[in-house]
Amino acid sequence: MTATNSLPDDLQAALDKGLLKRFPLTFLPFINQQLREWQFLFPNERRSVARLLFYVASLNEEQSSVLFHDVRAVEEKMGVRHWQLSTSEQTIQNSSELARSPYFQEWRSAVQTVFDAADKHEVNARETTKRQNRLVLLDIPQSLPIQAQDAWKRWGNIGRTVTLSFDSSEQMHSPMGFLLSNQRGPTSSDSSGLLEARNHLVSAADIWIVDAGRSVIDAVLATESSTTDPARAILLSYNRLDAYRQAFSHEMNSMRKDLADADAVFARMRKLDVIPWCPPEVAADPAVREFLRSLYLSGNGAVIFGNSFVEWAASEAFRRARPHFLAASFGLRSKPKPFTSVAVFENPDQVNPLPAVDDLTGSALDAQVLSLYVWLAASRYEEYQHSTICVCLAESIAQAYIVAPPECSLLTEQGPIPLDRMRDALVTWMN
Amino acid sequence: MNNNVRDSSIEPCSNNDREFVLDASKRAFIRAAGMLVAGMMLPQVHADETRLAEASSDEKVVIVIIGGVRRIETFSLEGLENIPHLFSDLLPKSLFYPHARNEGVTAHFNAISSILTGNWQRVDDWGKLAPATPTLFEQYRKRRGADRSDTWVVASNKALTSLIGASSASGYGPAYGANVVFPKQLMLMAIADALRTGRTANMVDRNNVELELESAMEGNNYEGLGWNVFDAVDRLDPRVESSIKTAVASFVHSGGPTSGDELTFFMSREVMRKFSPRVLVVVFSDVEAAHFGSYALYQAGIRTADRLTYQMWNEIENNEGYRGKTTMVILPEFGRDPDGSSTNGFFNHRANEDSTRDTWMMSLGSAIDKPQIIERPIRHIDLCPTLGGLLGCNGADMQGKCLTEFRR
Repeated sequence: MTATNSLPDDLQAALDKGLLKRFPLTFLPFINQQLREWQFLFPNERRSVARLLFYVASLNEEQSSVLFHDVRAVEEKMGVRHWQLSTSEQTIQNSSELARSPYFQEWRSAVQTVFDAADKHEVNARETTKRQNRLVLLDIPQSLPIQAQDAWKRWGNIGRTVTLSFDSSEQMHSPMGFLLSNQRGPTSSDSSGLLEARNHLVSAADIWIVDAGRSVIDAVLATESSTTDPARAILLSYNRLDAYRQAFSHEMNSMRKDLADADAVFARMRKLDVIPWCPPEVAADPAVREFLRSLYLSGNGAVIFGNSFVEWAASEAFRRARPHFLAASFGLRSKPKPFTSVAVFENPDQVNPLPAVDDLTGSALDAQVLSLYVWLAASRYEEYQHSTICVCLAESIAQAYIVAPPECSLLTEQGPIPLDRMRDALVTWMN
Repeated sequence: MNNNVRDSSIEPCSNNDREFVLDASKRAFIRAAGMLVAGMMLPQVHADETRLAEASSDEKVVIVIIGGVRRIETFSLEGLENIPHLFSDLLPKSLFYPHARNEGVTAHFNAISSILTGNWQRVDDWGKLAPATPTLFEQYRKRRGADRSDTWVVASNKALTSLIGASSASGYGPAYGANVVFPKQLMLMAIADALRTGRTANMVDRNNVELELESAMEGNNYEGLGWNVFDAVDRLDPRVESSIKTAVASFVHSGGPTSGDELTFFMSREVMRKFSPRVLVVVFSDVEAAHFGSYALYQAGIRTADRLTYQMWNEIENNEGYRGKTTMVILPEFGRDPDGSSTNGFFNHRANEDSTRDTWMMSLGSAIDKPQIIERPIRHIDLCPTLGGLLGCNGADMQGKCLTEFRR
């Protein structure tokens, strides 16, 4: 991802005039951290921080005082001034103080009101911006057994089930790989794959591919290496990140059960040079390296299970980068082993020499739930609510579940849909 | 009958109750109500027996706390398959509150200490601070002059420390606290030792696993384990050693699953058999695998807790020291976050939503005159004063209020 590393001049000028003095104490950890890590932010995040700061800068003293009145009132009730609050960055200690305050929900609500005001101001200013179509492509691979009768029950009635037809062994072997590739199919109108349907996108952060294993990313990289272009998408493979993940886990396990120690360990881990642990497609991009660092530090199983990594990486990608196209492929984990399964270890094969046994049904259930979670994570944001197609493939039953706006041609298809026709429709949508 | 109280009558659901299984489907509702009617016979006899027990002031309580579980995976139509014992075996003879709310901090230490003190606790999330007001253990021991061996906490949860057994309140504190044991920590220590010394091959053979566990037990880092047994944190009291060995042997050789909750169950059962405590708190937490994002492991944790809770009730029914004079209460610490929440759904328990705060509570045994479903929402902090009343140790200055449906 190419982006400038320094703050925009107008933003710096506003800060130099003392803009941050207008903000309540509890805003400062977030803002200061974002400003300090500007070079690691995705374009969407930069816009978001700038939106808030420029909005406050546009207000006079009295107006900003009114804007923050409720937050300051809650801070007073919480006794924030007496806390050991870090104003330079968000810490676990800060979060702990906030979360156990009886006024926590009131504070959250007051903070949200401020962000809403900034967002509303921005929306009013860009009402004429053209909306771009987006795509979320999810894949539950062939190896995971899905029961056709209840494959999509968790999705309710938000979309429709379609049957897929495969015209070649390549399609049948890896439907996801086919959709991403530019292999020509018998009913293709052209040979464009979904990764070619992106020339109008301006940043690598517009396209994300997240893989619970490595085969999908390996295939994409094989295609990319035949061109001279720099990486044009953010590629995250759980297995290709083994070294990064394991090194991080090792550091995290040194942490004692103590908030101060947790913050100390986290501070140390934020400074670790992670480049030696990164595969080339990650090492080359500071924002992606830091994205992963943050992902691993924020928990949610990303260092433990490939499917959790996929779900959490995709959710964070939506929150932070708002990509136009995100593809996520789930995978297989092992069954818990006798005795050592009293705890979930990131290195089960080290703590128990019994051979790993694939948990096919458990992995399939995980993937079914987490694929829905990926879509739910996207649909929280306005950008994905009206012009996004979500396709979830269940390869083992040759079905897909499609959530889409009414104008999506796939919604009116009758009978099994050839995979190349699905790809054409999605490419057309993205273009 | 109080308007909020419905026993075996079948009434249409209110909007607020739409997720509760008995209201969500007429067929399931009728089935449950039928079992409830059938169950009314037994507990009535039971209640007569317990009135005799009351005369001997021999009342005991067992509180089974399950980590964070959502209604949708338990007492909802789709959740019933995960809780066959709670629904089919225990519900028909229980006093059941479909809405038991955690209105405090939905983190483990604070949630459990709120249940045990009758006040919403807001202390350190990681158990570095004791509850600020007296626990049920302290109130009971101080008021009744009871021995420490009468009060126990056996827990799987790694977020707890021995400070869960006593408060920092003046006039109370560790002198009146409970024995605290975290069996899962013993297993973790054994694994860590085996890993450090290159003996992981021992984890394959059950006999060797037992040796590893005993070896870990014979160490001296009981404070590190979070244990506080008979005031000793630096050595294992001989009175408890044989119980732990028996529990470990049962766990290792049972041939059944080998999760942390299984070990907690075996340890709890041994504590019941050897010490017959008046107040026993058991905390199951296999469900917390949810934090790692595996829905299948989370669901398996619910099924394990369902089975072990039923086994706990069977132990009460078959153990001379408990039969007919024990009230068992089962409740989750909290729910988990709803699907689609910004806090990542079932992974976490931070959202200020009903999915996270609105749980359920089931009570069985001697304090229950008849099976009932009480739709009036209650709060987790109402349990401590209620059980305090049963044990003859009503505490003052509690936010919680006595639940009137319990016999006093």
